[in-house]
Amino acid sequence: MIEQLVVFTPQGQVLYKFNPLRKRFAEQQINKIVCQLISTSARKEEGGKFPVLELDGFACMYHAMKQPRLYFVVTYAASSLELNQEAEQVLQLGTRLWESLELNDKIIHNLNGKGPRNKHNYTWILDDGEAELDKFDEYFKIKFEEANALNSKNSSRKAPTPQLKAKNGKKQLQIQPGAKTRKWGRDGIMEEVSTADSSALDFSEGTSDSSQVTVTDLDKSSFGNRTDNGEFLIKEIDELLSKNKSEKIKQANSEGGTFGFLQKHLFGNKTITEADLKTVLQKLKQKLITKNVAPEVADYLANQISQDLVGSKTANWTSVEATAKESLEKSLTKILTPGVSVDLLHEIQQKTGSKDSNGRKNPYVFSVVGVNGVGKSTNLSKLAFWLLQNNLKVLIVACDTFRSGAVEQLRVHVENLAQLTDETHTRGSKNSRGKTGNDFVELFEGGYGGSDLVTKIAKQAIKYAKDQDFDIVLMDTAGRRHNDPTLMSPLKSFAEQARPDKIIMVGEALVGTDSVQQAKNFNAAFGKERNLDFFIISKCDTVGEMLGTMVNMVYATGIPILFVGVGQTYTDLRTLSVQWAVDTLMY
Amino acid sequence: MNTTIIVSLLLVIITTALLLIVQRTSTNVIPGQKISNRDPTFIIAGPPNSGKTSLFTLLTTDTIKATVMSQEPNVAADYMLPSAAKSFKFKLMDFPGHIKLRYQLFETLKESSSIKGLIFVVDSTVDPQKLTETAEFLYEILTITERNPEGVDILIACNKCESFTARPPAKIRDALEKEIGKIVERKMKSLSSVKTQLDANADEKDADNDALELNSSHGFKFDALDGNIVAMEGSVLKQNIDKWDCWIDERAVN
Repeated sequence: MIEQLVVFTPQGQVLYKFNPLRKRFAEQQINKIVCQLISTSARKEEGGKFPVLELDGFACMYHAMKQPRLYFVVTYAASSLELNQEAEQVLQLGTRLWESLELNDKIIHNLNGKGPRNKHNYTWILDDGEAELDKFDEYFKIKFEEANALNSKNSSRKAPTPQLKAKNGKKQLQIQPGAKTRKWGRDGIMEEVSTADSSALDFSEGTSDSSQVTVTDLDKSSFGNRTDNGEFLIKEIDELLSKNKSEKIKQANSEGGTFGFLQKHLFGNKTITEADLKTVLQKLKQKLITKNVAPEVADYLANQISQDLVGSKTANWTSVEATAKESLEKSLTKILTPGVSVDLLHEIQQKTGSKDSNGRKNPYVFSVVGVNGVGKSTNLSKLAFWLLQNNLKVLIVACDTFRSGAVEQLRVHVENLAQLTDETHTRGSKNSRGKTGNDFVELFEGGYGGSDLVTKIAKQAIKYAKDQDFDIVLMDTAGRRHNDPTLMSPLKSFAEQARPDKIIMVGEALVGTDSVQQAKNFNAAFGKERNLDFFIISKCDTVGEMLGTMVNMVYATGIPILFVGVGQTYTDLRTLSVQWAVDTLMY
Repeated sequence: MNTTIIVSLLLVIITTALLLIVQRTSTNVIPGQKISNRDPTFIIAGPPNSGKTSLFTLLTTDTIKATVMSQEPNVAADYMLPSAAKSFKFKLMDFPGHIKLRYQLFETLKESSSIKGLIFVVDSTVDPQKLTETAEFLYEILTITERNPEGVDILIACNKCESFTARPPAKIRDALEKEIGKIVERKMKSLSSVKTQLDANADEKDADNDALELNSSHGFKFDALDGNIVAMEGSVLKQNIDKWDCWIDERAVN
């Protein structure tokens, strides 16, 4: 059994909601779905007719109508074959009924500002469409019951249980107020129109005898055991559904000629078709690929544009190409904008501000992962430098126990940082605790060894940091190839044991197409419970305007970019400006 | 004969187009931004799930309708107040609150030349301790609106005041003020953003930086801003928004 069907606009206005179980409208569910739609850039289409989303506690199937833009969403308990099928039926019925009742024409009419205006000089999206909406409600419920009855008959081969009958009885009572038509007067005052009038508003052409079926007849005909009238009504609905389909096929517009050409390139105000976009999209895709965007991502973006634009009209004095560019800018911005707040200092303050049972502060733990040679240690040191400038005590942990020289490399960084924070520091000297560094920054090392050693060092380091009152623990890990399972698998246990607050992946801007797979594999390496938190994109100064890697990595995982590395010195770390990145990619 | 007509028509069209473009790009309030919205505008913004779209529908249709999370702005192009200023029409826009979609709001703020006021809807049942993200959003709005020489008046509309756990508006305003103060401090400490790759246009970067830094020397105060910032309670659900109506009224007339 489905839980609810909701029809809403992208603006967040709910046009129709149906709940067969008579529960309260669960807007939280829908909000979760919309949230999901906004934040996941990549949508998986799985064979079925409509996309399915699985969220915690429920599943949903949705259909995004384009012209006008509407969302039809069906939610149900969990994604199973049977329920999916039922949901698909319901969704199909809903959308077809909606289309055949010509509600869309009303909505477009209103959206274009041609509908009636109330005292605020405003047209609500469904003004003048109440009659149709009521009809939709009524018809939909009948068909829904019919399908349900059919389903239950198929599954159990039993007559409807008394319980079901009782429910039907209740439904009739509740339908009655719905059968009254509400109408909005020109001055915004609501007028109740008697039920007889609703047939006058009935413009759906049917056979003459079937259109005589008024709403009052419907009330008499109970849904469980239908009378002839009920049969009639269902027949009428079926007819309506089938008729509109054939009409739609006939509707094929053929615009063209010189005026069409001018409209396309100069005048604007042209309805965009798939064909118009084809060459433009090809061009834009090519351009994106030259900027290092992976073909997969470029395809996705092109798809987004055509989804966004086909059927819509270009503005005055705007060519199709300009409109497509604008749309691309929009999608790029949407992808790159982080979905969570990225105020690191705030989070650090909160974590270190909370004391444990012994009155010691909890250090904030970062760990840095990535492919070999992307600049993990370098960016870790840059990060350390920034944190040191904010008067935080930093412990740098050498968890790279594989590559010879890794620890020594970090020691050089720590010496540098110690010298930068305190000019009197002499290189190679030990601090009061007998370690490399000074009071503000220190190196924690455990030599070289296997992967067991890594987690051991990590745990020891966190304990040490707690004892010695450090604010920050930065863990450098060994670089690893992302498609080698034997190298990737230790990451999971590392994350479970060390439990870093933030796992940061460093990716280089140079890498190109492979970045999609890199980001995906690293994100998956920490198991289902844990994801990466941020990216640092390094070596941005070496690629000029070919910033495609950024888009690739964020597209593949939905994880935001925290910093970008723009040079060799410790100060060459910047936060990402989405607008800058988009502008660079576009021009 | 025919061709001359077409050519002359084309000439007329091209010149008007050029004129339009020139007109659009001139007279900027914020330097370097093209202005695409010249109408007097009121904007509804705020964190998700605070009741922006509900407020919008209440203002436009005088009824409460079910709403879900928005993905696109709601716009009433020629909105009219029924009360005092009968002849006055303005644009009413409601922007989605989801963090990924805020760029729509920021862009509009930059591209509008006549914003009469901004209604920042907050859920007054939220614990003031947890207002950090809300404050950050407001801070980001302020960094744009304060670039305007006169600033933009902001109403902190404390929605859902009928709820038992609702906080008084003064308290929310104070909490936001304090939180923004902390954010300003943190922003000064954090890294600057990449505007130009190799710092070629360092000047431009500085000019674009936050105007709010000026106020950070002795704590952040709403009163020190160019725009007037007030907090008022109300409830969309109970249709109790008279105070907000008044606020809009005052600004619409001016």
